[in-house]
Parts: sequence; C-alpha cells; structure tokens
Amino acid sequence: MINTDVLHDKSIVGSPIVHLSSMTIMLYVFWLLLSGNTQPKFLIYGAITSIIASWVCYPLLLIPNFDGTKKYFVFGINPFKVVYYFFWLMWQLILANIDVIKATVRHELDINPCVVKFRYRIDNPMGTVILANSITLTPGTVTMNVTPDGLYEVHALTDGAADGLKDPSGMPGKVAWLLGQDFEFDVVEVDY
Amino acid sequence: MSYVSLAQEIIAYVLMGLGLIFLVGSAIGMLRLPDFYSRVHASGNSETLGTMLIFLGLAVYNGFSDTSAKIIVIFLFVFLGNPIGSHILAKTAYKTGHPVWTKKHAKEAEEYEAKAAEKEEN
Repeated sequence: MINTDVLHDKSIVGSPIVHLSSMTIMLYVFWLLLSGNTQPKFLIYGAITSIIASWVCYPLLLIPNFDGTKKYFVFGINPFKVVYYFFWLMWQLILANIDVIKATVRHELDINPCVVKFRYRIDNPMGTVILANSITLTPGTVTMNVTPDGLYEVHALTDGAADGLKDPSGMPGKVAWLLGQDFEFDVVEVDY
Repeated sequence: MSYVSLAQEIIAYVLMGLGLIFLVGSAIGMLRLPDFYSRVHASGNSETLGTMLIFLGLAVYNGFSDTSAKIIVIFLFVFLGNPIGSHILAKTAYKTGHPVWTKKHAKEAEEYEAKAAEKEEN
C-alpha cells in the first residue's frame, strides 16, 4: 500500500512533487557517477531505484521548525545559491586557515582563546545546522553546543576569529540569504 | 594510461604542495597549542583544507574523467563530515566539564608556581 498523505500535507514549505523529482534526479546522477555504465539495463535499474529510494526517504527528510507549525525539506535550497555559498565558504576557509597557521607557527603563540555565546534565530532548522557546521569548518572557531532555540556556544582561538563571530553581516547573514529568510542575531556573552 | 600534460602536472603539484603546507601547519599546531579545545582547531579544521587541496590536486592530475568526479565526491563528503566529528568531540568535552584554557588561567598558574618557588626558597 502506498501512503499518499505526504503529497497533500499543507504544512510542508514548497511543493512535494518538486522536492521528490529534484531528489530523484540528484540520486540518479549519483548512481550514474558511481556505476559509470551506460548500458540500457543499468540506466533503467538506476531510474527505478532512485524513484523508490526518494519516495521512501522523503518523509524522513522533512524537519519541523521550532514552533512545529511548518515542515521544511532538507534539500529544499536553491542549488545556485548553494554553489555560490560553497565557494564563498572555501574562500573564508583559506583566509581563516592562513590566520590560524600564522598564529600557531609564531615563536610566541599569538592566541587568546575565549568562548563566545550568541543567539541566532531563523525559522528553517537547516539554517541552525548550516551555521553551526560552517562555523566548525572555519579554522579558529569550533561550535561546542547548540540548543534548539538557537543559543550557540563557540570556542574561538584568536582575537580575529572572535571578532568575525560577532559580526551579524558575516556568516549568519550569508546563511539567512542562502535560505531566503529573516534572522535575529545578538551576542549574549564573551568569556575570556 | 592517459596522457598527462605538463600544465596539468604543474597545477596538480602546486595544489598538493599547498595541501602539504596546511597539513604540516596543523601538525605543528597539534604539538604546540595548550589545551584540548585549541587542539581540536588544529587537528580538525586545518586538516580539512589540506586534505581537500590534495584531493583537488589528484583530480587535476587525473584529468577530466569519472575517477576525478568520484574524487570530488569524496572531497564533498570530507567537507560535510569533518566538522561534524570536531563538533562532537568539542561538545562532549564541554558537556562533561572539561575546563577551557584562557590567558587568565595561564597567568594564575604562573603566579601560583612563582609563589610555590618562593615558599621552597624560604
């Protein structure tokens, strides 16, 4: 029996049909990449497998927001924005990495570790996850804890990294732009 | 074997060399930094860029083929997976109450040691 409730769920942001088809295409491209076979048999097997896999997995990839009023699809992000964000993040990674290596290779360690606590609220729960992951990926800052209502506790290694965290137009603004939503940001406390 | 052009080879070596510099930097940081949290920065994060540059160099060396595409996929998984590992380590240490090293603590420790030395002298 096929349960079609998910297609008529009004609390999902965006269209379930678009989500399902985009996910099927994504899985099919991945299949083609890994198999490297272009015989018709494998192409058809791949298509059937990706349709079934996306149909089975789709309900698992819907996450509710903090109020529980809406459900967001995990991969429901504009792919062009994702590519732009990826390259921007790579550039930030290189800059921050050079800073950290300079600070650690000096004769006297040029570090000043501190814990920055800030609050970041965005409706889409993916925003919370992407921000936490991007902060951890950037050298000089590691997310130590995130609560569901958006309180971040971040360990910053150098003064420059800590200043970068306190700037709302930096990474928090870029994540909000990626998801196309408004956000609230305020620094709660800095522990030296 | 496919033919590897000179330009391709040079770009690949430059990328892998840069990756090596970042990996060495992360190893130095691992040895020199004072406490657990700052070592997570060195081990988890600087390593990500080093690994990614080396993978990119391998992909360039391989040329435009499905093997390169697979290398890029591995690179993306490292990109997604590495910060999660660092985060879990830092989170567990923080929740179990591991103290965070700061400059204030270093000064206090120095003063304490100086006092202890004075006492021994007396």
